Amino acid sequence: MGIVYLIGDYMTKKFAVIILSIVLCIGVLFTSCSYYSSNSYETQEFLMGTVVLQRIYHKNAEMIAKEVNGRIAEIESVMTINKPGGEVNLLNDAAGEEYVNLGKDTLYVLEKARQYSEISNGAFDLTIGPLVESWGVFSNNPKVPSESEIDELLKLVNYKDINIDLENSTAMLAKKGQIVDLGGIAKGFAADEVIEIYKKHGVESAMISLGGNILTLGGKPDGSPWTIGIRNPRGKDGSYIGIISVKDKAVVSSGDYERFFEKDGVRYHHILDPKTGYPADTGLIGTTIVSDISIDADALSTATFVLGLEEGMKLIESLEGIEAVFVTEDKKIYVTDGLKETFIFRDESKEFEYVEKR
Amino acid sequence: MNKVKKTILLGVFVSQALILSIIESWIPIPAPVPGVKLGLANIITIITIMFFGFREAISVVFVRCVLSSIFGGGGWMLFLFSISGGVLSTVVMSVLYKSGRNKFSITGISIAGAIAHNIGQILVAAFFMKDLAVAVVLPVLLVSGSIMGFFVGLVSGFLEGALRRTRIFD
Amino acid sequence: MLKKGDLIILGFAIILIAASFIGVSIYKSSGENARKIAVIIKDNQEIKRIDIDAVSEPMEITVLGEYNDIVLVEKGRIRFKEADCPDKVCVNTGWLTEKGDMAVCLPNKTMIKIEGQSDDVDIVTY
Repeated sequence: MGIVYLIGDYMTKKFAVIILSIVLCIGVLFTSCSYYSSNSYETQEFLMGTVVLQRIYHKNAEMIAKEVNGRIAEIESVMTINKPGGEVNLLNDAAGEEYVNLGKDTLYVLEKARQYSEISNGAFDLTIGPLVESWGVFSNNPKVPSESEIDELLKLVNYKDINIDLENSTAMLAKKGQIVDLGGIAKGFAADEVIEIYKKHGVESAMISLGGNILTLGGKPDGSPWTIGIRNPRGKDGSYIGIISVKDKAVVSSGDYERFFEKDGVRYHHILDPKTGYPADTGLIGTTIVSDISIDADALSTATFVLGLEEGMKLIESLEGIEAVFVTEDKKIYVTDGLKETFIFRDESKEFEYVEKR
Repeated sequence: MNKVKKTILLGVFVSQALILSIIESWIPIPAPVPGVKLGLANIITIITIMFFGFREAISVVFVRCVLSSIFGGGGWMLFLFSISGGVLSTVVMSVLYKSGRNKFSITGISIAGAIAHNIGQILVAAFFMKDLAVAVVLPVLLVSGSIMGFFVGLVSGFLEGALRRTRIFD
Repeated sequence: MLKKGDLIILGFAIILIAASFIGVSIYKSSGENARKIAVIIKDNQEIKRIDIDAVSEPMEITVLGEYNDIVLVEKGRIRFKEADCPDKVCVNTGWLTEKGDMAVCLPNKTMIKIEGQSDDVDIVTY
């Protein structure tokens, strides 16, 4: 420092300009000529019935990604009801009969799912299984069940029928035929678990997407936030209607565009309303939830989608630290107050309208 | 100027710089790339160079960077970015200032400082991330930096006049 | 206000900005960084890697599995052209043209992707 100080004292203008030139030229030279490859690692894998995409900035990224995929596969095998085996299947098989011993993960997710069923007053309901099965929305042959069938099945859908005994690590469904479906929340849980693995390995910057359920760790390596596009529910080629910037946040969306089928000219999507037994029809076509914990965002995105704009907005505003973006059928976009600063409305289709004030 | 007075004045400068960088963080800038900022704290750096000198200016910059990353968060990386930009810009501005005020205006010095700040930041970012791809934001940073540098220079000029009239520094 | 030395600074700033613009545009359009590489992945295995900018004639690639997908490649773009899976999400995704674009056929566990990261957003939630 002292040397620079002296130079400053005695240097002429010419020298100053030369020194300045050298310093700045080196900068430009570096940027123009050389190039190292980025040390980000990106990988994708088919897991939990969807695509799991990871981007990790860490020297052992590849190994960490493998561990993550293993953990997700483990969670899937315990919580799935689409494949045989697993604890949730045991719970469902013993419905109306007996308590079943459950592992720590399943109990936690089950309890969270029950809480959100309660908070949303049944708009999200973990016992939706019988309806999902009957509609076959996740199968290859979806169908529209008859009205009498739906009426019958609705009797089995009631989150109050799940009895969870945390002390003895057991749980039981009250009625025979009831089915717990953790599909609306398990991916959120998996994402939270993944972040713990990243942290364990000292990763400071990473991102995971489980079929569009996104959880970010930190910001990007340069300190800037992750930019996340919110998909245009009516767009075809992955276009989006807005961008939010987040650090250390979960971003989860639900919409009628994810899975749907058409029958006799009517479009049926996969998010069923536990009250009616039919696909939710409350005027929303997409919801996006931003929260600290992914499991919360996952449950709430489904719940708000079923509740509709007014009720959904009320629910989000009653909860601490949770923000949301709602897209309605008439192509209007609503954003909760906490997101207004970072939400950028960008609609390439020019069909949507951003309603800033309600 | 006695030592106590100098210490007090430099302390005031640090806190002012800190406040300016906090205020700055409240002003959202619709920029397409990260790193674009107003550089208001640079006003204090320039004033310190004028009334004290390089060594004092570097100290003020250093303390400001340490404190703002403690209070403002952002972590180790962000601290490195701001300290590297801050040091390089202080060096450049001091050199230009010492080499004669009649040759460079404060506005000119400030612009050079802003540019040096951006380059210092990018170099360190590229070094630590082992990825020169971060430099793709440099054009945007340089243009915005030059514009901000111009206004910061103007403000510093006004401030200098006002401070000289107060005779605090005699 | 403006002094002689300022012109030097100004000139320097302009040269620097111009140089950085040129540098970045060269960097962006040069070599590996600009090439668009599409990969086809089936059952978590990469089965084909194509430089889609270097494709002159359209070509079709059939991916067999539980269901069958036909991937169509043209100069600078790639898509699922046909699939006999029930949901057709993959076909409905349309053309992939930008880095980071991705189309997925879940029933067949097939995925096409253009390698690299999008300039626009880091990821899309859906």
